[in-house]
Amino acid sequence: MTARFSLGIDLGTSNCAMALVDLETDRTEILPIPQILSANQLGEKPALASAAYLPHPDEFPPGSFRLPWNAGEEPGIIGQFARDHGALVPDRVAISAKSWLSNPHIDPKQRTLPWRSDSVEEKLSPFECSRRYLQHLRDSFLHTAESRGTPWDLAEGQVVVTVPASFDEVARSLTAEAAEAAGLGHVTLLEEPQAAFYAWSARAGRQWRDAVAPGDVILVCDVGGGTADFSLIAVTDVGGNLELERISVGEHILLGGDNMDLALAYTLQVRLEAEGKALDAWQFLALVHAASRAKITLFEDGTLPEAPIAVPSRGSSLFAKTIATALDRALLSQVILDGFFARTAVDDLPREARRAGLQEFGLPYASDPVISKHLARFLTRSLQNVKASDKLGALVGPRAAGPALMPTAVLFNGGVFKAEPIRARVLELLASWNGGQAVRELAGFEPDLAVAHGAAIYGQHRATGKGMRIKAGTSRSYYIGLEASMLAVPGFRPPVKALCVVPQGMQEGTELLIEDRTFGLVTGQAAEFRFFSSAVRSGDMPGQILPDAERELEETSLLEVELTALPDLPAGQVVPVRMESVVTELGTLELWMKHTNSDRRWKIEFQVRTE
Amino acid sequence: MRVVLVLAGVLLVAVSGAVLVPAAEPVRPFLSAATLGLAMLVLIGLFLQRRESAAPPKPVAEPVRPTPVPPEAHRADAEIVHFLAMLQDKGRLVDFLMDDINAYSDAQVGAAARVVHAGCKGVLQEHFRINPIRTEQEGSTVQVPAGYAAEEYRLIGKLAGAAPFSGVLVHRGWRTDMVKLPELLRRAADRLPAIAPAEVELK
Repeated sequence: MTARFSLGIDLGTSNCAMALVDLETDRTEILPIPQILSANQLGEKPALASAAYLPHPDEFPPGSFRLPWNAGEEPGIIGQFARDHGALVPDRVAISAKSWLSNPHIDPKQRTLPWRSDSVEEKLSPFECSRRYLQHLRDSFLHTAESRGTPWDLAEGQVVVTVPASFDEVARSLTAEAAEAAGLGHVTLLEEPQAAFYAWSARAGRQWRDAVAPGDVILVCDVGGGTADFSLIAVTDVGGNLELERISVGEHILLGGDNMDLALAYTLQVRLEAEGKALDAWQFLALVHAASRAKITLFEDGTLPEAPIAVPSRGSSLFAKTIATALDRALLSQVILDGFFARTAVDDLPREARRAGLQEFGLPYASDPVISKHLARFLTRSLQNVKASDKLGALVGPRAAGPALMPTAVLFNGGVFKAEPIRARVLELLASWNGGQAVRELAGFEPDLAVAHGAAIYGQHRATGKGMRIKAGTSRSYYIGLEASMLAVPGFRPPVKALCVVPQGMQEGTELLIEDRTFGLVTGQAAEFRFFSSAVRSGDMPGQILPDAERELEETSLLEVELTALPDLPAGQVVPVRMESVVTELGTLELWMKHTNSDRRWKIEFQVRTE
Repeated sequence: MRVVLVLAGVLLVAVSGAVLVPAAEPVRPFLSAATLGLAMLVLIGLFLQRRESAAPPKPVAEPVRPTPVPPEAHRADAEIVHFLAMLQDKGRLVDFLMDDINAYSDAQVGAAARVVHAGCKGVLQEHFRINPIRTEQEGSTVQVPAGYAAEEYRLIGKLAGAAPFSGVLVHRGWRTDMVKLPELLRRAADRLPAIAPAEVELK
């Protein structure tokens, strides 16, 4: 069957967006998303705020939030109103669900959101929040298609959902599962920085091949509202054709534009308080919005010395109680450019989180706000990764020298980079790390919507088999923990060895059987394995054993497999099996235990993480 | 149609609010405040006019308690109140207009005007596409072509003969070619929606 459309979904930490390519007409567009704009108001916006508000039963009259596709029921509120109103009633709004999906400290399927709230009657799990956002997007897509007279069936199209490049396999598979539970079927996953690159190439049209050359290493620098995500893409010449390969992905960094607006607001608040003007909690929120607007004004117009800010009081008297101040350019540069994009050295890496005895438990926000240092760390780790394998080393050639892998070009993405002075600062920073040699900018566009756009373009390339594809494969290598058999020594825990089962860069649609290790599993009993991963060990081959998993790898989850008792296998019998790994066409990883003497195999499930 | 009428009034308010913004000189606000008052009158006038035309003339005093109204008229009223509620919510317009402006200094009025300007402008940009009718400089001589849309021009001064007319552009005019107002989901049968809900913070 030929696909009729490609739907790209950017499931963002703070905002979602959706783009469509009609494969029959080749038309690409950002789809408007109907959502609740305020109590009793339904409207459309290009982005859907990733926030779910759980109203008190008496808070709003029934019928205030009815969506056009939900005749009767009102399953919580998603979108702009949820975020705006939730800011005033923080105990009832679930936010940042996506970051919780990749958090190793909680089970993403447990009802934990709104985080630390005791007001709501029934909480939502991070997984359920993601599912609801995806379902809202799905329903609004079907609704829009139908109201335009093109009632599409989701089975007739290619659906691509983007995930951060830093997501590990557990977070990826949870996203795919949430999409399926939302009625989107089996979706294809795509890393967000790659999506931004596809959007750029589609925008550049046929000329994109002239904008890059073999030997280029392109940094995709994506800083959204709440997260920073980096990737490197190498350009090579294979038989006269340009080929692109994603060679490195960054860590999950919870640091973005929202932090910048908050930092500005705090600085202004201190100044106002010094003048004897105190702000209440609501006014502080208004100050955050006003500071954000003032920041945009100043960044857009470089001739303005300052932008005035007025913060109204909550009461009805606007004249008496409005607080006036101004954001001046010096303060803006000091807070944003020198605070978040400081001119640091390439070997100046983020300081590690303080290990206080009693650490407040929550999302692992980056403890160092300087994005420059996180970027330096990413480039340093990238070098480590490409050096680990001859293949990647050959791709970047002479660039693999010095303390970090320096890109030759950079593509900016995310709302933060709408500001030209911030882009200029990052370019300046990269040039200073690159021995003064400039790194060129690939002109991006629509930094808020490019990821959704690029996802739809990627879906189009997949569906039609035409167009450029970035060679990517798995962004990490994966390992199974093996308990080392050693003599017990008091006070000494034997190290856990690790068997590499999936190498980095394993391509979609391939399978791999680990020949040299046989596991004995007992039928009718669940067997558990520890599962590890690494984003910087590109050289590890399947079957290879690392001596100390805990020191060299990150623990990703537990794996569980249960061999059902079979007629020809008596219960309790030990069955010899081998590991088989499969990367599906859709980009999800599956692990199987394969019987050594037959074709029978059992799927290994990712266990949700618990401490 | 009515919403567009109200928009014209509201637009006037927003635009005159804008006069306050670029220059904080002490004299300007008085002028603009007067304009704002005028705009408010226009707005009220529009409401009254509409109400008259909607209901046949009845020389009895309206009782304060809610009276049953035809559902469609009621819906139109509710939509207008909702639009007003949006301007209040985002731009504090009703707070601005209902307050006593004479009791405050120009600096205070100016600071408040910034709140109104930023918020109401956001509402207009989000829900309407607004363009000037004439793009020439005000004060320059312009031609009004034959067959011009009469509702888009107000010809003043010495009006005689046939179009095309030539004259000095006094006001460039505004028009909108796209209105995208949010849809009202629920409507109480016995009362209009609130312009701004009373807010109570629970501790």
